[in-house]
Amino acid sequence: MNCEVCQLKELEVEHFEIREVLRCILHTIVFHRALGLVRPKDVDLELFEITYVQCGDVELEKKIDEKIDQFISWVEKHPNKKSQICLSFYEVKSKQPSWFTNKTERLYWEQWYVNLNVTQQPKQHSSKSHHTKVVVDPGESANEERSSRRAMVEASLREVLFQIIKFVNEKKDHVPPISEGVIYFPYEITMPRKFQ
Amino acid sequence: MEMDRESGKLEQIVSQFRSKILHVVLDSRVPSLHRHQQQDSLSLSRVRKTDKWFNLVLGDRPPALENLNFSLRNLLDPMVIDIILVRHASYSSSVDNLYAPSAAAAGPSTETVIERWVVQYDCPRVFATPSGAEAAVSYKKIYKKCIVLLRSLYTQMRLLPAYRIFRQLSSLNQTYNFDIVYKVSSFSHPFSREEEDGMKEYNFAPVEALPGCLCVSVIYHATLSDFNLEPLVSLPPKIITDYVGSPTTDPMRSFPSSERGAHATSFPFRGLRPPSSAPFQRPHSWSSGFHRGIPPTKTQSLAGSPPVYRTSPKPYDITPPPTDLYGNRIQNHRVSTLQQATAYDEYKLSPPFSPSASPSTPTYLSGANPLLTRHCSETAPVTIPLPPTGRSNRYLSPNSSDPSRHSLPPLSPRSSKHDTSSQESPSGIRSYRKIEALRAGESPSGLSNLYSAPKVVRDSKDDSGRFSGLLSSSGSPRIGFSRSSSRLSFQDDMDDCEFSCPFDVDDVDVSDSSSQNTENKRASEFTAQSNLIGKKSQDAAVGILVHMLRTAPPLRQDSSCYSTRSLRTEYEGGVGIASGFFMPRKTADALEELNSYREMKDLLLSKSGTQVVRKEGMK
Repeated sequence: MNCEVCQLKELEVEHFEIREVLRCILHTIVFHRALGLVRPKDVDLELFEITYVQCGDVELEKKIDEKIDQFISWVEKHPNKKSQICLSFYEVKSKQPSWFTNKTERLYWEQWYVNLNVTQQPKQHSSKSHHTKVVVDPGESANEERSSRRAMVEASLREVLFQIIKFVNEKKDHVPPISEGVIYFPYEITMPRKFQ
Repeated sequence: MEMDRESGKLEQIVSQFRSKILHVVLDSRVPSLHRHQQQDSLSLSRVRKTDKWFNLVLGDRPPALENLNFSLRNLLDPMVIDIILVRHASYSSSVDNLYAPSAAAAGPSTETVIERWVVQYDCPRVFATPSGAEAAVSYKKIYKKCIVLLRSLYTQMRLLPAYRIFRQLSSLNQTYNFDIVYKVSSFSHPFSREEEDGMKEYNFAPVEALPGCLCVSVIYHATLSDFNLEPLVSLPPKIITDYVGSPTTDPMRSFPSSERGAHATSFPFRGLRPPSSAPFQRPHSWSSGFHRGIPPTKTQSLAGSPPVYRTSPKPYDITPPPTDLYGNRIQNHRVSTLQQATAYDEYKLSPPFSPSASPSTPTYLSGANPLLTRHCSETAPVTIPLPPTGRSNRYLSPNSSDPSRHSLPPLSPRSSKHDTSSQESPSGIRSYRKIEALRAGESPSGLSNLYSAPKVVRDSKDDSGRFSGLLSSSGSPRIGFSRSSSRLSFQDDMDDCEFSCPFDVDDVDVSDSSSQNTENKRASEFTAQSNLIGKKSQDAAVGILVHMLRTAPPLRQDSSCYSTRSLRTEYEGGVGIASGFFMPRKTADALEELNSYREMKDLLLSKSGTQVVRKEGMK
């Protein structure tokens, strides 16, 4: 079986945006791969005017949050670096049992790479002069810059979500059959490569 | 036989697929249908047969959907779902327009198709149906692919621009100058070139469903910012300088409402004879303000208040009560609103609008007033001009402009709501003070924001959208939540306000200096609540009655109670009795009081119009 790979568009985010962005992307992907009976749960982002959908599984939500925490810890130790988080779906196949091994094998049939470039917001310098002239208010320009930056991130995030929708629509043949009683396919979240 | 069964399966998949898409689209675009779903909390927990289709639990299908499904039985015809934005012209600020049954003041509405979803099963005329095991595998694949497509459609519904305005409309604490309606048909009028400008198209990858394929596409406006969609602005609060109660106004001014036959109803106050046996025509603010034809005052003028559409010919007459259906619904809703404030916060965030991990409201729904500000009736902040000058004149007449009243807590909603010349004393009923506090910033007339009351009540009844062809759904072609529910909420607000409990003043500061004020307020409340009894919600009425009974003074003769009771009887008599400050209580008085309670209870529970209750003579 083919393993379909989707490299999502890189997002430039700040540290405090990581959690929301990753939650949005990872849950959106999983929602499209949770083909069992789900009661969709709409979640509004706080930082952006985007609503994404979760499949409503508490366990899944917890696991995703744990992985995001790990990712954030790594990012804190390696600031200003590009990083990836990989969401993979697999099937469990049991190997030929032998005297020595009785392992099961994971056959990955789909992998999603979420590419993030975590930046630090540069500090604003006061533009006061020594002669106490009219001070250009740094706060206002910083706010404008912040809001335009926020809008850009929101637009990029929206693009990523559309990218996910496009991918899941175009490639359906590789998706395994749905098992009875299973809500979502087995998955794993890894941080495969950390590169500058 | 086998071929029939197999083709039946395919037909079933296609049919259910279309129904599911319709459900998803309408649930994410039409506020009334969505609220219909939200209301039934039980429905959210259980899984229906329809939910199991494509493993997507959406809850009950609105009845309109069932009709639509029935009408679009030919699966080979496309299903075209138009999401239509209805923009209302700006309204006149005259209060007259609110009462006018015609929609003349509303102005023309503009309708624009902002989204068009097309679902079609493309099938060649001649085809070979797969059979046997091949067919079974085929149907499973088809089904799986349909599930994936529905997932992505569900996600995409939330990313398109129309979702935002849907959320705005769905919010309970704001009204807007637009509506969203829908039209489902099996054909579509092509867009003009103008309409096509600014529209984008997205085609979902077709699902092979041999012998044909299922195709879903959407054409949508890429941006809705050109449509000038905005919330309706309420008037800022205004101080009513000539408010009744001020020494400068004429307390006995008559109002047109009295000419229309509405009479105040007063309750017998412990057997004391009222000052006059004539129908009590004290011009209360609540009696006048709810009639049609009241000349709009400055303070009552409204800018941009919505509803000139009304489904009932007499929305605001006191005499005819609302229909039982609406009345009951509103009553129940109002009670639940007032009593379960936090429940509405939860409602707003309940699935499918679950909060994110940190429990804050969605950013683009924020900025509105707290939910309760829209659920309760209106009052204006009024100045309380003068400190009390003395107590002896306090109970001379309920109509007296007693300066001492001005030291009381803020006015009850009814007293300030509709008529600035109302005689209502600023009895500051505590139970409504909370309402007033929550409604900071509302218009003085109290009308404009009444239409922003919860829309849930009426919508499911009023909704239908528009249908072409053979569709048999009834109802107006508009989903007029703002019109219908606003009217009902307005009435319900009236109900709640009008029936202020005279004993609510127990909540007022119980210090000695204010206890007499309390009693005065009680008596005035007694009188004040007379006019709109008929409209009182049943539950609230019972609640008020219970409260009254709880806070009523004991029947037994107790010297500690003399002072308060005697003051009340003094007021009820309407005679300035300076002496007799302490009056022994008799059994007859108690019996009288009991009878009065009974009468009040009957009056509350009845839903008829205004009743004139003669004050019984003091025995």
